Amino acid sequence: MKNIIKILQYIFRSLIVTKNIVFLISIFIFFGCQSSNEITINIWHQMLYENRKALREVCDKYEESHTGININLIYRETEELRSNFQSAALGGSGPELIYGPSDQVGPFAIMGIIKPLDDLFSLSYFDQFLSNAVVKFDKKRWMVGDGVGNHLMLIYNKNMVSSPPKDTDELIQLGKSLTKDLDDDGVIDQFGLVWNFTEPFFYVPWIGGFGDWFIDESGKPHLDTESNENAFAFIKSLRDKHKIIPKECDYETANALFKTERAAMIINGDWSWGDYMGKVDFGIAKLPRISVTGELPTPIVSTKGYSINAHTKGEKLHHTVDLMKYLTSPEVQLHYVRRLNTQPSSLAALDHPEVQSNVLLKQNADIIKNGKPMPVVPELRAIWDALRGEYQSVLAGTKEPHSAAIESQRKAEEQIKTMNLVVQPGSQGKFIKGLLGLIIVGIILVLWKTKEKFLFAFRENKFAYLMILPAFAGIMIVVLFPFVYNLIISLSNFSLRTFKNWDLIGFYHFGTVLSDIRFYSVLGKTIIWTLINVSFHVSLGVFLAVLINRTLPAKKTLRTLLIIPWALPQYIAALTWRGMFNQEYGSINLILNKFFNMSPVQWLSQPIEAFSACIITNIWLGFPFMMVVALGGLQSIPKEMYEASQVDGASRWQQFCKITIPMIKPVMLPAIILGTVWTFNNINVVWLVSNGGEPSDLTHILVSYVYKAAFNLYRYGYAAALSMIIFIILSAFMVSFMRKTKLEAIV
Amino acid sequence: MRKKIETLGILCLLILFIMAILYPALNIISVSLRSDDAFQTRSLTLWTDESSFKSYFTLFLETKFLTWMKNSFIVSFVVTLTGVVLASTSGYALSRFNFIGKKAVLFSILMTQMFPATMLLLPFFILLAKFELINSYIGLIIIYSSTALPFCVWQMKGYYDTVPPELEESARMDGCTRFSAFTKIILPVSVPALVITALFSFMASWSEYVVASIVLQDPELYTLPLGLKSFQASLATQWGLYAAGAVVVSIPVTILFIFLSRFLVSGLTIGSVKG
Repeated sequence: MKNIIKILQYIFRSLIVTKNIVFLISIFIFFGCQSSNEITINIWHQMLYENRKALREVCDKYEESHTGININLIYRETEELRSNFQSAALGGSGPELIYGPSDQVGPFAIMGIIKPLDDLFSLSYFDQFLSNAVVKFDKKRWMVGDGVGNHLMLIYNKNMVSSPPKDTDELIQLGKSLTKDLDDDGVIDQFGLVWNFTEPFFYVPWIGGFGDWFIDESGKPHLDTESNENAFAFIKSLRDKHKIIPKECDYETANALFKTERAAMIINGDWSWGDYMGKVDFGIAKLPRISVTGELPTPIVSTKGYSINAHTKGEKLHHTVDLMKYLTSPEVQLHYVRRLNTQPSSLAALDHPEVQSNVLLKQNADIIKNGKPMPVVPELRAIWDALRGEYQSVLAGTKEPHSAAIESQRKAEEQIKTMNLVVQPGSQGKFIKGLLGLIIVGIILVLWKTKEKFLFAFRENKFAYLMILPAFAGIMIVVLFPFVYNLIISLSNFSLRTFKNWDLIGFYHFGTVLSDIRFYSVLGKTIIWTLINVSFHVSLGVFLAVLINRTLPAKKTLRTLLIIPWALPQYIAALTWRGMFNQEYGSINLILNKFFNMSPVQWLSQPIEAFSACIITNIWLGFPFMMVVALGGLQSIPKEMYEASQVDGASRWQQFCKITIPMIKPVMLPAIILGTVWTFNNINVVWLVSNGGEPSDLTHILVSYVYKAAFNLYRYGYAAALSMIIFIILSAFMVSFMRKTKLEAIV
Repeated sequence: MRKKIETLGILCLLILFIMAILYPALNIISVSLRSDDAFQTRSLTLWTDESSFKSYFTLFLETKFLTWMKNSFIVSFVVTLTGVVLASTSGYALSRFNFIGKKAVLFSILMTQMFPATMLLLPFFILLAKFELINSYIGLIIIYSSTALPFCVWQMKGYYDTVPPELEESARMDGCTRFSAFTKIILPVSVPALVITALFSFMASWSEYVVASIVLQDPELYTLPLGLKSFQASLATQWGLYAAGAVVVSIPVTILFIFLSRFLVSGLTIGSVKG
C-alpha cells in the first residue's frame, strides 16, 4: 500500500510540475489573444521577405484607422501554404484571407474552401482592375490580385552585356563569347547564360516561341506537338552543342552565379529584382525571339492575390471584405511600387505619374504584353508533373525529343484521369461500413469480457501498470485517432472532387497500389535506401563510439565535433549537400577532380548518381545518433570484464565480438529497429536533395511517393492506402527482425 | 610505447574523419558570413574581404529570433522533462516485471512509429482544432512527447536489461521499498541512458518543423524552426540569415551535449553488484 501511495505522490509531483508550466503557458497565450471586442483577421500569405515588410506596413496603417481590428500575418512557403490551408479548411478553421498565386484558385474552388466573390463585391469594384488580376474559374470570380507579373524575362549584367540579344542566334553567339575558362584549369568560370532550365515553368515559354502552347483553351494538355519537340531539342542544344549554359543548374545555382558576376545573363522573374538591386547593375529584356520561327517566347503571366475562406461568416466577413478592398486599393499598390517595384493591377495606380515615370516598370509592361495568362485549372499540376519527367529524361539523354513529347502528353492525360476519378461507392462500400461496425462492436465485447481478467491482473501488478500508464496512454491518445482516420480514408474515395463529401468504397485503392508495377520498383529502391543507410549508420556509429570511448587526448572535443551533423537543422544541411553535389561548382566534384583526377560526375541529373547523393547525405546526417546511443550502451559494460578477458589472452577483436557486441545489443536493437523505420519513412532528405524526386521521378522512396500523391495530385484516399501498406510492411519487418535477433525472448 | 602509437593512429584517423564530417558544416558557416546572400560557394575560404557578421546582427536585432528561442526553450524543456520522467518509469516496469499485455504494450508503442508522418498531419489538425489546441503549446508538447517516447521507453528498457537485478534485490533485502530501490539504486546507475533519453527528447522538439507549422499560427508563439523557415521562400531565400540562424540554433544542442556527455561515463562496475 505504502508503495502505491509513494508512486502516486511521485507521479503527481511530476505531473504538477508539468501542469504548472502548461498552465502558465496557457495563461500567457490567453492574455495574448483575448481582449474584449477586438476582431482579429488572419492572413496567410507566401510573400517574399521584403514584400512581407511592406505588407506589414500597410496593415499597421489600416489598424491605426480601424480601431478594434487586429491583422495577424502568417507566412508559409507556397506549397505549404496550399497544403496547410487545405488541412485547416477541412478542420473547419483557417485564416479569413489567403494570399497566393492564381493557380491555387482552381483546386480551392473545386474543394469548396474559398468563397466566390461575386456576391460580396460590386461589379464596379472588379472593374477597377486589369482583367487578368480578377481570377475567374467556372464562371465565378474567386481572387483579386494586388499586382500582375511573376513572368520570366532576360535579365542581363550591364557590365558584361551592352545590349541584350534580340534573337536566339544572337543569344548563342553572345553566350559563346561570354562563356569562359578564365584561369585555364579546364573548368568554366563564367557562363553566358544561366537559369533554372530543368523546371517546366522556366521551360514552357520556349514552347510558345516555337508556335504552340502547352495547354489548350479548355485546360487540356497540348504537349505532343512539334513545338514541344523543337523546344526540347533547343534547350538541349544550348547545353550540349553550344555549351553556353551549365550542365546542371537549379535555381539557387543560377542565382548565385548571376549575383557573383559569374554569369552574364539569367532568365528569371520580376520577383528577383529586389535581390539583385545594389549587387548587380542589371537590365531587363524580353526573352530573345526564336530565330527559326521568328516568334517571341511567351512567358506565363499571373497574378497573386487574396481569396476569402469559405468559413468566414457574419461580422467578420464584413470586415474581411473591407480589408480586402483596402489591400487591393491603388493607395496600397502605389506603396508597393515605391517599395518593391511591383507591377500594379489597379487601373488607377497604373495611370499614376509615379508608375508612368518608372523606367523599369515601363519596360516590364512591354515584356508582359507577350505573356500568356497562368491557367488556374487543377489539371495544371498534372501537366507540370508529366512534362517535368519527360523533359528531364531528354536532358539526361535517355529519351529522344520526339518520343518524350508524345509520352508527356500520354502521361499528362493519364494523370488527369486519375486525379479527376471519383470511384462511386458500390456494394463493397456498404459491406465495409457493416464490417467496420462489427469490428467496433467486437472490440467493445472483447474488452467487456476481459474486464475481470484485466482488473485482476491490474491488482496483481499495480506498480508496473501505474508506471507504464502515463507514457502508454499519451502515445496512444495521440496516435490512435489519426491512425483510425487514415484507415477509414484509405477505404474511401477522398480526392480533389470529393473533398467534402467522400464516401467509403472499399479496398479499391489497395488494389490500385498493389497492381501498379511502379509501386514495386519504388519499394525496391526504398529497401536499398534503408539497408545501405542503416548499415552505415550502425557500423559507423558503433565504430566511432568504441574509438571515442578509449582514453584519448581531447576526447571531449572530438566527441562534440562528431555530433555536429545531428545538431544542425536537417533542412539546411540537406540543401548544403545539394549545393555540394552540383556538377560544375559543387565541392565534391572539385575534390574528386583535384585528388583523384576524376571527371565531373553529374550527381543531380542522372538517376543512380542522384540516389547515391541522397544516401550519402543521409548517412552523414544519421550516424551521430547511433554513435550517441552506442556510447550510452558502452557505459553499461563493467571494465572488469575486459580486464578479465585480457588475462585470459583474448584479442581486441575477440573482446569486441564476445563482450562489446552482446552487451550493447539490448540498447542498440531498439535503436536499429526504429532507425530502420525512420529511414524508411524519411521524406526530408530525398525530397530536398533530389528536389522532389528529380530526375524524372526516379529517386522516390515510398514516402515521397505518398507525399506527391496526396499533396500534388490530391489523391488522399490513394495516399492513405499506400501509407497503410507501408505500415504493414514495417510491422512485418519488425516482427521478423525481433525473431531473428531473439529480441522477442528478452521481451 | 605500443599503446602510444596506437592512440596516435586512432587520433589521426578520427581527425581526418572529423574534417570530412565538418566540411558541410563549415560551408553553412561560410554562407552565413557572406555578404552576397548566395548559397553556392566554390571556394572554401571561410573569411573573404567581403565577409561580415551582418547576418548575425540582422538576426538578433531585426527579427524576433530571441522570442523564438525563448519559445523553443519552453517547449523543449517541458518535452525533455516529460520524456525523462515517463520513459524512465515505464521502461523500468517493462524491464523488470512480467504482466499481461506487456508484449502488446512494447509492440504497439513501436508500431506507432511506422505510419508515415506526412499522412498524420491532417487528422492531427482536425483533432487539435476540436480540442481548441491550435495556437497552444499544450498540443505541441503532447505530440512531441508522444513521438519521442517510443524510442526513449525502449532505450531505457534496453539499458535496464543490462543492469543486473541482484542490485535492487539486495537493496530490497535491506528494507528498501520497490520504488525507492528504483530511484535510489537503479536510476543512478542508469544515468547514461537517461542522458540519451534527454538528448533525444530535446532534439525531437528543438528542430521539429512540420507539426509546429500546423499547430502554431501566431508569430508570437513561433518556435525556432518556424522562425527560421520564414527566411526561406521557394525562389528567394534569405540565405545569409537562414544560415546564420541555423548556426545559432545548433549551438544550444552542442552545449547541451557537452553538458550531458559528462554523465556518459560508466556508472556500473561489477563491484556495485557484489556490494
